[in-house]
Amino acid sequence: MSVENAYQLLYAFVLLVFAVLIGITLVRAVIGPRVTDRIMSINMIGTMVIASIIVLSGMLGEGYLLDVALIYAMISFVTVLILAASNIPPEKRKRMEAEEKAMQEEDA
Amino acid sequence: MGEWIRFFIVAALLLLALACFASAVLGVWRFGYVMNRMHAAGIGDSLGIFCVAAALFIAGGPSWEEAKALLLVFFLWFTSPVSTHFLGQVEFFNSPDLPVYAAAGKEEGDGSRRNGNC
Amino acid sequence: MKEKFWRWLDGSREYLEDASDMDETPYREREEVKTQIRERNDSLDKRRGTRAVIRAEEKGFRLLYSWVAVISAIFLIGVLLYVVSYLPRYGQENPQTTLVARRYLEDGVRETGAINAVAGMILDYRAFDTLGESHVLFTALVCVMILLEKDRKNMRRGYEDYYRITGEGFYTPNRDGIMQAAGFVLLPSILLFGIYILLNGQNGPGGGFSGGTVLGSGLIIFTMAFGFDTVDRIASRRLLKGVTVVALGFYSFAKGYVFFTGANGLESHIPKGTPGAILSGGLILPLDIAVGLVVACTMFGFYSLFRRGSIGGKGKACSGKKAGTGAGTKAEGKDNA
Repeated sequence: MSVENAYQLLYAFVLLVFAVLIGITLVRAVIGPRVTDRIMSINMIGTMVIASIIVLSGMLGEGYLLDVALIYAMISFVTVLILAASNIPPEKRKRMEAEEKAMQEEDA
Repeated sequence: MGEWIRFFIVAALLLLALACFASAVLGVWRFGYVMNRMHAAGIGDSLGIFCVAAALFIAGGPSWEEAKALLLVFFLWFTSPVSTHFLGQVEFFNSPDLPVYAAAGKEEGDGSRRNGNC
Repeated sequence: MKEKFWRWLDGSREYLEDASDMDETPYREREEVKTQIRERNDSLDKRRGTRAVIRAEEKGFRLLYSWVAVISAIFLIGVLLYVVSYLPRYGQENPQTTLVARRYLEDGVRETGAINAVAGMILDYRAFDTLGESHVLFTALVCVMILLEKDRKNMRRGYEDYYRITGEGFYTPNRDGIMQAAGFVLLPSILLFGIYILLNGQNGPGGGFSGGTVLGSGLIIFTMAFGFDTVDRIASRRLLKGVTVVALGFYSFAKGYVFFTGANGLESHIPKGTPGAILSGGLILPLDIAVGLVVACTMFGFYSLFRRGSIGGKGKACSGKKAGTGAGTKAEGKDNA
């Protein structure tokens, strides 16, 4: 068995395991009783997809797939930010900020 | 012979990365409350993907093109804690009164998964 | 049973289903203000007798609208079916799949000067489609603006208190310390990366659409880190309008010139350059930049409209702060009159 064949076999095995892990996390995204569970699962799936794209870039020998992985990291970051910011109730946040400001003014 | 040594180093790093991701998914599955699950999810974001990038860096002969993957990991190390911070805020502002419920769980000790027990 | 299904699908937000000590005062205050304002407006409308007139006008308009909608839909369907009848049969050998694809791949580098065959296709061989797509993006932004923007027609006079509570002041993205620290380090890299993707459209994967997306995401992160007030100094309403219009106009005129010369067999003297350099591929680089700018403005415009109802800071309507001061004077004026 030559070295190239060994590399391809290793990469294929790693990609297969990543696919199974992504599937399990997707089940958690469907089941998870709270909203936060689902956003967190999407974040994890994004990270695992980035890892598989990096492994794929080594498998195919193409260098531009790393640019694709970087774009994906950015987009998943913005996704989690906006999903989280839409689910924070603004009245509670305003009240907490007002309380913090009051506490700081007390200390100062 | 040198090629085989490199292959085994790459294989060890990739299997370590798989172990990190598997433990992250196991943690997400087994813990009972979201705040605990986020701790487990952080393992994949930090160590798992660093091992993958390091494996790629060594496999392509240490070269400048593959170093892009390490910069990608550096970027991810910056953005992942910010995401976790926001997720924690979502959980905090959407639950009625966390300290009260955590304390109540400890007193009752019913072992169920409510009230913040895991 | 159905309620349980929808609650499972949405994800529960209360930790325990029988949680009783959730603080409901802000919701109750808002509901009270809403009912008060609604009752006051109803009494005013009844006094002036405007309701009958409004209902009659709406009925006539609705009838006309439904007839025109049905007729135009049938017309459009007829035209499209007529065009489809000219296509070759399914499974038949036709030049589209054999000759055209081969020519794009084999002669693409020589004729367009771009290594990236996809960029050569969408911006040189099939540039007319991309022209339509950019205009579609612009039209989508205009449609969302029509629907969501707060202007004097849909900010009814009595609702200023309501808008002050749920307006811009409340929904401004929080100026988070952690987000600011991360943004301080990341944002230059993100914006620079977007420009890198734009400029290298013809040499590798990238081009106008993905570069514009990254630029738009960078602007969104900037907004979430530093607040809308800071962004309004850079990406104000005039700038976004100007950039979109200039980019689309430049695309139309430049590509129109190429169509004109190509259709009449003339020689369009646009240099192709060496494949692999940045300044290569003829018109592909400027058109990439134009498309990227339109996409970035569209993405940021959508985010701004959904978040606070207007693109720039001082839109056509009163912003949150102005409504706060305007509510006092306007309400007093109405009570006096």
